[in-house]
Amino acid sequence: MARLTMWLGGAAVLIACGSAAWADEPDATTRLYAEHLALTVCGICHGTAGNSVQPKFPRLAGQNANYLAAQLKAFRAQSRGDPDAIAYMWGMASQLDDATIDALASYYAAQRAEPSATGTSAQASRGREIYLHGVAPQGVPACSSCHGPDAHGLAEFPRLAGQHAQYVLKQLASFQSNMRNVAIMHGVAQNLNLADMDAVAAFLETQP
Amino acid sequence: MSAAKIRLLGKLTAAATCAAAWLAISPAALAVPSFARQTGMACEACHTVFPELTHFGRVFKANGYTLTNVKQVRDVTGKKEELLGISQFPPLSIMAQISYTEMKTPVPDLAAVGAPGVAQNGTAGFPQQFSFFYAGKIAPNLGAMFQLTYANDSGTIGIDNSDIRFADELTLPDRGTFTYGLSLNNNPTVQDLWNSTPAWGFPYALSNANVTPLAATAISGPYAQDVAGLTAYVYWNESLYVEAGGYRSAKQGVTNELTGAAGPLDGTASNVLQGLAPYWRIAYEYNWDRHSLEVGAYGLDLKVLPGGSPSAPSPLIGPYNEFDDVAEDLQYQFVGDQHLLSVLATHIHEAQTLNAAFASGAAANPRDTLTTDEVALTYYYRRKIGGTVQYFSTTGTTDAGLYPTTPAGAPGVITSANGSPDTRGWVAELNYLPWLNVKVSAQYTWYSKFNGGGTDYDGVGRNASGNNTLYLLLWFAY
Repeated sequence: MARLTMWLGGAAVLIACGSAAWADEPDATTRLYAEHLALTVCGICHGTAGNSVQPKFPRLAGQNANYLAAQLKAFRAQSRGDPDAIAYMWGMASQLDDATIDALASYYAAQRAEPSATGTSAQASRGREIYLHGVAPQGVPACSSCHGPDAHGLAEFPRLAGQHAQYVLKQLASFQSNMRNVAIMHGVAQNLNLADMDAVAAFLETQP
Repeated sequence: MSAAKIRLLGKLTAAATCAAAWLAISPAALAVPSFARQTGMACEACHTVFPELTHFGRVFKANGYTLTNVKQVRDVTGKKEELLGISQFPPLSIMAQISYTEMKTPVPDLAAVGAPGVAQNGTAGFPQQFSFFYAGKIAPNLGAMFQLTYANDSGTIGIDNSDIRFADELTLPDRGTFTYGLSLNNNPTVQDLWNSTPAWGFPYALSNANVTPLAATAISGPYAQDVAGLTAYVYWNESLYVEAGGYRSAKQGVTNELTGAAGPLDGTASNVLQGLAPYWRIAYEYNWDRHSLEVGAYGLDLKVLPGGSPSAPSPLIGPYNEFDDVAEDLQYQFVGDQHLLSVLATHIHEAQTLNAAFASGAAANPRDTLTTDEVALTYYYRRKIGGTVQYFSTTGTTDAGLYPTTPAGAPGVITSANGSPDTRGWVAELNYLPWLNVKVSAQYTWYSKFNGGGTDYDGVGRNASGNNTLYLLLWFAY
């Protein structure tokens, strides 16, 4: 319980910081440039409207602009260290300036997210339980407390609804191993077993 | 060299428009770390395992190798029109292939034909090939993959596969994309985006110290680096690809006998294209989940004047030989983080109209056909260890002119007792990549039929399986 309280405290601080650091509105030229980049470069992997086909590449449509901007800046600074970030995004983000990053983030935030899978399953139902209520015996808090009850994200916390299950699973594993070094998520993921991670990922993939 | 051998080589040279030229072909190779330096992205973005391209790699190529994520030296007009955009460091790379080849049955030693002597079996190639690349952006919409290669068989440095591209991309109202471009290249299909066409098809590396069959379709490499082509293409939504263009002869190391200049070509040059050889390509790619499927067709129609040599010139007029190739191809890829699987397949049908060769006696028939089928299955685990199994088959019209029998007293090996070009067999290859730009391979080629026969295919006792080849390779690029 002490761990859960500490985690919620950390989350509250992050939300406050996130609100203060809300992205600036990009000017029209930068917006057009970013849109061109999104369609002709980012779109090769992430889909032109951010609804990627390949589960290796995350869906970005409808994603929180602040989260996206923070991730692009982390790629640029080479501070996000999961394997795909190193192989793909460190280079891709290396020459982006802040204004373009903000414009790209706004572009994807404005796209309509489509779920990457449909249907229900026992695994997804279990995932829904974990997402909404956590796993108290293991000290895992409810995901919804930060990512929102509909998994659309809150402030700095990313939208997870409709995300590829494989991508979510890989990120949880990266948080767990600290390859993606995010203290809050490390705290959550280190107490999740693989079956629970699978279940949450399966649930999120089907969410609108 | 024996008189019989000289006579045989003379006959093969006359028939070279059809087949024999491919003996001199170096295997294609593309694995260029300067692209990785330019994009800042690891090899895996563009390749499953080099040189096979991923979807991203295909789009990068279609866009003219211009995507860059490094600082640029730039110049712009007052209207922000780009006058210059070059990387601070040039996109240069090197590549080396170091190999060892051993055949199941050694070939006869020409110094002792008829005697028990055989050539040394076991050839070390150090290097078999060493290449220098300029591979990357040249200008905002212009890029190139330009390769110079030293090969141990020629002992010289020469131009290898090269592709210079202009490309631009439009965005469509429905958020689709429309890429259009031009490719200036020196090998039909070198500009292609899939690995199911000849230039970048499996095997990606081959021994140059073994025995190769007499017959090969014209689009499969005999004219590589011997032609220059300009093609125009469109790529709609990274799915539908349509390309058309033409090739002309672009000889290396050949001069006009009268002027001593690099051209125009005259009757001392051999296998000269008449006019423009049309090339066409259509393909459709569908991607879902971690899968990618491409089906397509391509073709090339070459009209070739036999010509001659400085010692035996023959005017570039009169009848020509025509090689009309029409092919279908298929590529399937599963690209997971742990497991990667590819299927590459192509079927090439060649209609040969041999007016020149038939008139000169170099071909026994005025019309022949040649058909090549190849299917390769590749698997890799974590891009570290994997392998490929390929079935290959070439069949065609029996023609004792093109695929000649062994003259009396000659050693055989590169002849056909029954005049048939039929060759088939398997290639199995194991690969280990300690790092993504270093590959160690062991490849074995089995022939069940070679130049028309399984046993005694040359009429002097050599079996197809005698040409089975073990090929060990260290291949790296930096």
